[in-house]
Amino acid sequence: MSALQSLTAVANWRSWAVLRRNALVFLRNWRTAVIPPAMEPVIFFVAFGLGFSRYVEDLSYRGVNINYATYVAAGLIAYTGFGTPYYEALYSAYVRMFYQKTWDGILATQVELPSVVWGEILWGAVRGMVNISIVSLVIAVFDLLGMVHVKVQFLVLMPLLGFIAGCAFASFALIFTATVPAIDHMNYPVFLVGWPLSLVSNTFFPIEPKSGAVRALMQLNPVYQLAECARGLLVLGNPGSHLVGLLGSTALFLLPCTLLAVRLTRRRVLGD
Amino acid sequence: MTAPILEARGLIKSYGKRVAVDRLDLTCRRGTVLGLLGPNGAGKTTTLRMLYGFVPPDQGSIYYAGKRFSENRAAAKRSIGVCTQDDSLDYDFTVAQNLFIYASYFRPRVEGLDDRVAELLDRFELAPYADASPHVLSGGFVRRLLIARSIVHRPSVLFLDEPTTGLDPSARLDVWELIDRMRAEGLAIVLTTHYMDEAERLSDELLVLHEGRTVAHGEPHRVIDRVLGDHVIIVPRGEPEREEIAAWLQARGTEQVATVLGELRVPVSKEDLVELTARFAEATWQVRPPNLDDLFIALARRNGRLE
Repeated sequence: MSALQSLTAVANWRSWAVLRRNALVFLRNWRTAVIPPAMEPVIFFVAFGLGFSRYVEDLSYRGVNINYATYVAAGLIAYTGFGTPYYEALYSAYVRMFYQKTWDGILATQVELPSVVWGEILWGAVRGMVNISIVSLVIAVFDLLGMVHVKVQFLVLMPLLGFIAGCAFASFALIFTATVPAIDHMNYPVFLVGWPLSLVSNTFFPIEPKSGAVRALMQLNPVYQLAECARGLLVLGNPGSHLVGLLGSTALFLLPCTLLAVRLTRRRVLGD
Repeated sequence: MTAPILEARGLIKSYGKRVAVDRLDLTCRRGTVLGLLGPNGAGKTTTLRMLYGFVPPDQGSIYYAGKRFSENRAAAKRSIGVCTQDDSLDYDFTVAQNLFIYASYFRPRVEGLDDRVAELLDRFELAPYADASPHVLSGGFVRRLLIARSIVHRPSVLFLDEPTTGLDPSARLDVWELIDRMRAEGLAIVLTTHYMDEAERLSDELLVLHEGRTVAHGEPHRVIDRVLGDHVIIVPRGEPEREEIAAWLQARGTEQVATVLGELRVPVSKEDLVELTARFAEATWQVRPPNLDDLFIALARRNGRLE
């Protein structure tokens, strides 16, 4: 199967059938699947955003003074938009692939392997949308209480931005899913990749590197672009260049990561 | 004789320097069972994985209903059902939902799906468990559900990979009945098994693989008769006339005298058995039908791979 066929499989009914399967399972277990994971960013928001806000001075964001809680609110959108699809495609996909043999069953049908990979990518991104929606709701409540100051109307765009970037994060995670020898080894992509990426991307504190090379690298980081795009919209109503940056960095991540994930998953699952 | 619904010609598959399948030909027709036999590592699984499209052959062609698989992949995969050896049921769903969700992986969609699921639940005696998790099913009923699931989309060809491995004798017989009924309904079935009695009872044709190659092919009785004869005698380690019996059989042209854990195992014809009984009236031995072990030992010896 060619690279083009692997990439265009996203538009194939087979990929959406895999997505549908995961969505049906989620709907059966939505209480346990939604509430505990979505509480994590809310707790982060209360602990870091509201907690630290009393001790941290206002920050200047593109010429506008904002309190720290408002800064963190946008960061949590990015944190959730990264973490949810990334961990879904790491742990849940691994369980489906290795323990439950769900993929083996699916591959014995008309569904081909690139569609399984795409189905997992899309599902990870949808899960990101769901959790971002909950975080957005919480931010709206705190805005009503006057604890953060965001342009509430733009909160409805957050799940969409999360979906776009979520595809990149899920495809990235599936590379590890296809290669780790056992689930214990997930600690490497979680602590050595996931945590640094989610914390050092203008999510909880601004980073202003002096090195041009580091600044250029940051532009390629979809977590950074998602955080800045969300912040631009929520604070100013204008994402600036970060919308293009988000789309570009997502494409740069998504396309090679998907191809690599298909290749590695084929080797692991089909032994080819 | 009807045209083959499945045909493979000259299949070759290598992994590195190891040739897993070497110039394999096979055909399967509607309403027949093709038994694929061989010891571990013989190439059965690789053959199956090529036939249902998990891995492409390095050389050779596969045809479904006369059309080349590689050029009509989607249509061919719509026409095949796969029941893998591993339990790949979707434990996130109930028994009935397993059938519904599996059907959703096929296009064109399964016509009359509600009726089809109800029919399969009845036929495979799964109706009482329709709304239960597959976790509550016994091994035999898990296997029933796996088979029911693999035919929910009404395929023309069904692959059954060791469908009775790990089942108790009663559950095994139940699966045999189901296979027999599906054959009678016109399904072409490719069956892999380690059990000679299963292959013999269920298969219309046997294909015996050894080290990736076909070493015997044809109707089960002919394959066994041709290779082994009617019976196998087992002369125990302590039998005083053991050496004389072996020498007598070899003098009559029996080439397949095997020693297993000190026992002499020799395939013999009915006529030889009668003479042997008369000649060695005082000796003690057992007589039993040939089994898969005997076949493999015989084939390996014939191919010079066992001394």
